[in-house]
Amino acid sequence: MPQTFNQLPEELQLATTAHVKYIQSLDSRKDEYDYWLTEHLRLNGLYWGLTALHLLGHPDALPRSETIDFVLSCQHDSGGFGAAPGHDAHMLSTVSAVQILAMIDAFDELETRGKGKAQVGKYIANLQNRETGTFAGDEWGEEDTRFLYGAFNALSLLGLLDLVDVDKAVNHIAACANFDGGYGVSPGAESHAGQIFTCVAALTIAGRQDLVDKERLGRWLSERQIAGGGLNGRPEKKEDVCYSWWVLSSLEMIGKTHWIDRDQLVAFILRCQDPERGGISDRPGDMVDVWHTVFGIAGLSLLQYPGLQPVDEVYCMPKSATAWVLGR
Amino acid sequence: MPSKGKPAKSRASEASKSSPQPTTTTIASATQPPLPPTPPSDDTQTVSDRAKSRSAAARPLDTLLHQKGGALSALSRQDQSAWLAARIASRLAKRPALAASATTTGGGAAVARLSCGGGPKTLKEAWKAVNELSLPLRAVDSTSAAAARKRGYCYRNGEGDLRVKEFEARWEKKLVLSCLAVESRCFRDRRERERRGDREEKTGEQVVVTEHEVFEETRRRREMAALRRELYGGGVGKDGKLATDPEWDDVEPVVLEEPEGALAAIAYPADYAEAMAYLRAVMQAKEYSERCLRLTEHIINMNPSHYTVWLYRAANVFALKVSIPDEIAWLNRVALSNLKNYQIWHHRHLLVENYFPTIASDPATLSTFAAAERSFLQQILSQDTKNYHVWSYRSYLVGKLNLFGDADELAAIEAMIDDDVRNNSAWSHRFFLVFSNPAHASPGFAATEADPKVPAAVVDREVEYAEEKIRLAPQNQSGWNYLRGVLVKGGRKLGSVGEFVVGFVKGLGEGEEAEDVMSTHALDLLAEIYAEKGDKEKADLSLTRLGQKWDRIRVGYWEWRKKCVEAPA
Repeated sequence: MPQTFNQLPEELQLATTAHVKYIQSLDSRKDEYDYWLTEHLRLNGLYWGLTALHLLGHPDALPRSETIDFVLSCQHDSGGFGAAPGHDAHMLSTVSAVQILAMIDAFDELETRGKGKAQVGKYIANLQNRETGTFAGDEWGEEDTRFLYGAFNALSLLGLLDLVDVDKAVNHIAACANFDGGYGVSPGAESHAGQIFTCVAALTIAGRQDLVDKERLGRWLSERQIAGGGLNGRPEKKEDVCYSWWVLSSLEMIGKTHWIDRDQLVAFILRCQDPERGGISDRPGDMVDVWHTVFGIAGLSLLQYPGLQPVDEVYCMPKSATAWVLGR
Repeated sequence: MPSKGKPAKSRASEASKSSPQPTTTTIASATQPPLPPTPPSDDTQTVSDRAKSRSAAARPLDTLLHQKGGALSALSRQDQSAWLAARIASRLAKRPALAASATTTGGGAAVARLSCGGGPKTLKEAWKAVNELSLPLRAVDSTSAAAARKRGYCYRNGEGDLRVKEFEARWEKKLVLSCLAVESRCFRDRRERERRGDREEKTGEQVVVTEHEVFEETRRRREMAALRRELYGGGVGKDGKLATDPEWDDVEPVVLEEPEGALAAIAYPADYAEAMAYLRAVMQAKEYSERCLRLTEHIINMNPSHYTVWLYRAANVFALKVSIPDEIAWLNRVALSNLKNYQIWHHRHLLVENYFPTIASDPATLSTFAAAERSFLQQILSQDTKNYHVWSYRSYLVGKLNLFGDADELAAIEAMIDDDVRNNSAWSHRFFLVFSNPAHASPGFAATEADPKVPAAVVDREVEYAEEKIRLAPQNQSGWNYLRGVLVKGGRKLGSVGEFVVGFVKGLGEGEEAEDVMSTHALDLLAEIYAEKGDKEKADLSLTRLGQKWDRIRVGYWEWRKKCVEAPA
């Protein structure tokens, strides 16, 4: 595999330095309109940026202590984290917080300066619907398999997975399996690559991959690749770099990444980067953003692009971090 | 000679009566040209310049000296004396008392100091010179900034660069602002008195702040805010739309102080910052009211992605028992302007959860509601046919209102597939409608499970429907996935559609010229059908051709399939 990368033309190399600079500059673009419009994603954005930096081999490019300060400033008494200081606690930002702290090895600070791991675990566990097994995003009860995955992700990193009813949650995921081999946001909903990732990853964390029809799912996932090498998220939709992660990591988890053309996908991801200003966009020529940047880089890492740290396909974090935290 | 106190005093007082005039002043000097006349104050001058020229006019000899490069030796003897005289005289003019004491015997030291080392005679001569030359005595001491400010000759904050008229206009605005502030103060006092239950002094009646007064005050504050912004710029919580609205006076906005250089710190446009500050305040106070409802709408207009504000809006809607259909009408407008926003759909979900129990037992209202929802879904899907949140809301609605058997719902989905046979969301919804219909589906069965309860007629109908649509777009996956799903549900062999499938593949393995594959999905299914029948050779051929030519990008998958054919699990 690695030999083929030498055959790529100059302009299709990974512009690592530019990407690092781009991510570092995100914090300084406070006067941009989009910055305050995406305030509800601030903590998530930090997780995306930090993960990308770790995978690029620059884990120290964002200041560690300020990162910890910011993360802890988002925490509520309930243990949950909001997207930004003053925002209500939510599952998604809580998961991002846990992942960030895991990556920079700051669980100690969570104990001493934050509300502690147990409290975070309690917040997450309380969001489980004990009847159906699925999880809500917050007290208001919007349910989505993303939250289920998030819960499993964060709780397993905290070593507190036993706080929730894993079996019930697993049954719920099984109910979301569709006729075409994929998974949707809830039973009966259309199969979608993002939802597939959350369902398969959750089942993997729970050790229940036996419930996945790997052949059918792998087939559906392999069909996501369109001419040009990019991946889409559903039939007849446009390709998007973020599916390089959702689809690819799902394929990796079920051991079927060879069912797509990996070289073409690498070339596609590289075409989506802005080599001068840094960052990656959803498809070639569009505006970059940190979301597509992290998933593009994570995809390249899964494809074993040289110079990148290996990514954990289940957690979307550097393998070094998950191996350390989970002891695997 | 000690100059007589009186003459000096009288001269001093005489001199002090004369104020610096910007008149033409010439220094009697045979050798030097006269100083240029001080230009009359004109409106194109900046106020700083005007101050400078006035100052220069009041100190003609200093100006002359400055023009000569600052060296006294460059002046003529006469001008030098005149300069010195002016110097001494201006000092005396500042301190008449000293001038007086200079005449007494004990004031020798003072005299010496004043006269720059000379004696009383020097002073006398100085006065003489000043009188003869009509020099202005009172000139601003340009080296003292404090003195300059006192006289208004020093301008701050760039005001000095304003033209005279602009500067005067600005002063007027400041005056107006001060007056308005006084009036506003009166209003607040009155309202405070009303709260305390005070009585009017004159009439003895309760103090009541009228609507008119409030209206006036609102206007006044807007004017003040506008003036302040003009004069000094703005600030959060001070002059925004809410801060100037008397309705919000009792609320102290919670302004977030971002620490300097905070990671991921946030900067907002002023309106949004202000609205968020008020939102935090009322959310902390757990207030649910009309004004809060309006506040959430105000914020949503600026940033519809902020999920907290949506949740708070829902709380207000329920607390105030707002009519759900009204709220939905408002939500529809917002949804149409924000197609990618998913909070809108969760909000709708919450509204329906709240509304449904109140209409569950009324078939007519249920029917009307379902129709209204369908109509809106059609409208919004026409703009974004595959919006995942809309479709997932639609499945929720079907389940909630039990629209599985609803002919209108099925017809609506068919219409969407007619419009775009490649719309995977519509296909997916159809599968859900048909095979999760409690009327003929086994409860709790997975989508991937064969369901014997489903009538054969339904399965037949769905197979036919799929085949019909596949013919319109043979390479579209949705139809093929659907067909397979139906066959699984109906517990049917893949071979049961063999004749249909084989029609899309011609001359398989008969060479480049003869071979024609109109659909890779057909060839894929064909391979499975051959395998099902036990025809390994043909199955292998199909898969090989797919990997070699017809779907090379997935060659990894086709190779694996071939292995499965060789050694089935």
